[in-house]
Amino acid sequence: MCMTRINYKKMHYRENAQMLQKSKLVLRDGTSLDDLVMRESNEVSLRVMTDEELYHLEMEKIFAKTWLLLGHESEIPEPGDFIVRDMAEDNVIVARSQDGEVNVSLNVCPHRGMRVCLGEAGNKRIHQCIYHGWAFRPNGDFIGAPVEREKMHGNDVDKKTLGLKKAKVHLYGGLIFATWNVDGPSFDEYLGDIKYYMDQLFCRTDNGLELLGPPQRFTLPCNWKVPGEQSGSDGFHTLTLHRSLMEGGVMGGTAESIYDQAPGMYGVDVSCKQGHSLRCLEAEKTFKMFADVPFEGKSTRERLELLTPPGITKEMIPELFRNLSEDQVNQLATIPPQVGGLFPNILIAFIFAPRTDGGSSGALALHTYVPKGPGKVEFVNYIFAEKDAPEQMKRDMLQNSVQQTGTSGTIEQDDADVWPVIMKNARGAVSKGITLKYQALHGHERPEGWVGEGLLYPGFTKDDTQWNWWLAYYDLMDAV
Amino acid sequence: MTWKTKSTAAPDSTTILRGLVSNKRVALGSQVYNRILETLYDEAAALDERRIDDWIAMIAQDIIYQAPIRLTRTGPNRDRDVMRTMFHFDEDYGSLLMRTGRLQKSAWAEDPPSRCRRFITNVRIAECETPGEYEVVSYLYLERSRGDSPENENTTAERRDVWREVDGGYKLASREIIVDQSVLGMSNFAVFL
Repeated sequence: MCMTRINYKKMHYRENAQMLQKSKLVLRDGTSLDDLVMRESNEVSLRVMTDEELYHLEMEKIFAKTWLLLGHESEIPEPGDFIVRDMAEDNVIVARSQDGEVNVSLNVCPHRGMRVCLGEAGNKRIHQCIYHGWAFRPNGDFIGAPVEREKMHGNDVDKKTLGLKKAKVHLYGGLIFATWNVDGPSFDEYLGDIKYYMDQLFCRTDNGLELLGPPQRFTLPCNWKVPGEQSGSDGFHTLTLHRSLMEGGVMGGTAESIYDQAPGMYGVDVSCKQGHSLRCLEAEKTFKMFADVPFEGKSTRERLELLTPPGITKEMIPELFRNLSEDQVNQLATIPPQVGGLFPNILIAFIFAPRTDGGSSGALALHTYVPKGPGKVEFVNYIFAEKDAPEQMKRDMLQNSVQQTGTSGTIEQDDADVWPVIMKNARGAVSKGITLKYQALHGHERPEGWVGEGLLYPGFTKDDTQWNWWLAYYDLMDAV
Repeated sequence: MTWKTKSTAAPDSTTILRGLVSNKRVALGSQVYNRILETLYDEAAALDERRIDDWIAMIAQDIIYQAPIRLTRTGPNRDRDVMRTMFHFDEDYGSLLMRTGRLQKSAWAEDPPSRCRRFITNVRIAECETPGEYEVVSYLYLERSRGDSPENENTTAERRDVWREVDGGYKLASREIIVDQSVLGMSNFAVFL
């Protein structure tokens, strides 16, 4: 217990760790947020996965408040292009208007609540509700209702107020983010210190990323936080749940030496108080095929030539220097960010993905875990390549991502098998009192010569980043 | 396959379902029809009984095995809903061997294994331009029982195959699995379709 306390103080981002204020959030049965997310002992009650009341509070306090990922602007290049996506259980139209802007508006007709847009994608100058015919522009503005002279919307209401409800939009590296919290934190405030590292993945080339096709979508019978907390950079599960990566010779080690060699476990985990995180890993210590590459004493450019980051070609190396700082490129060349997540529901996998044919063009994938009720989550898998990558490389990268991530991915089909079982356990009268434990904590420590900001956890991957994910959860749930 | 990225919003002619393309039909009840139908049943049995080596032996080494995603579209492009730019499966012989090899070791998604029934119906067959190759379109209904759950997971799909006559039998040379759900109700595709 004593050890836990010391670790706790060491890792907690708040300076005044001993004076924890009690949360004002209390559920109807008297359970407090502090009984669910236990900041003194670094535990979380399994009950958080099934509680209906908590779920509805999460929808209001998290999903109606924070920034959410909806897609990529390469999906809607032309004016009038639109896609329909979900901000938790709120369905939205993401459309490019005549002025080239990307707009996000609620797909709910303000007249009688019907969905205005019934398709998932297309091009329309006017979105007309099929129920009573109210019509809207791609930016959500109300155009009018049929039989204009009869004013179906009444005489007293200004047409300007009858548009679709609009969300605030921000494009980051072409990724489309939106929030209902129009007066809330800016996107940069939301990203915080993790931006320096995210830029190395999303803002590193002249023409940026493109989505290779519409996302894979499938549903899992579990709460969104089951995959959510794992997206807080759970490194340790790889060794056991994903041991087939070692058995198949992708990562270092063999079936017999997995726990001795622990490939992919040592690196620097980076995080921030907003709950985001990334695992930065040296390729030569992670993947078998790079183990013998002579990196010792090489310059940044030489290292990039020897082992280009996932998704990048040798021809694109000068672009890295143009778009990133020298320190950022240096990190990309030595210990690049590879997996991680953005709070609340985004997983990032920008991985080397060695192929059976000996190549390694990488796999770039983002997932969102979209809540669909307390016991259901939709897994949306976005697969990317650099726009300037050669066609064959895009083809290879699509195949890598499909074979390793998402629906049939040999890595993630094992995750999809675990999560629903945890969910089943969370229902038992006794089981729901069991706690998830985040007590293996390293504590923030700046490695020598490290340039980026944020909370830093060098060495063997521990629970720090995932615990920060829960603290970010606590902060939003606790907010009035 | 050459690669050209298309935006999600853009409609294009490659997204039409298609079905049976050749018009050189192989008559229902003919000898070739019966033997191919028997092969489809044998294949389903090999997969349902998890005789994975027997399944691999039925596959040609130049196989293309893909499951494009479906998209809901409205209006003039309502029938252009098979997105052949993104897949649930995107496989060749090497990657199928990688997948089946994994199943022998720590593939927790199928350990314990699913209990599956693959129902194959509505089989239509036609001759391809290459002699000895047959276009075979079938419907698949998959029921999958997992662990102690009393509720099966299931999915339906159309399979557009090419089967090639080899040494008096048939080998699967290509398969396009067109699932009906735009959002899959199954938590993964750790089983073959």
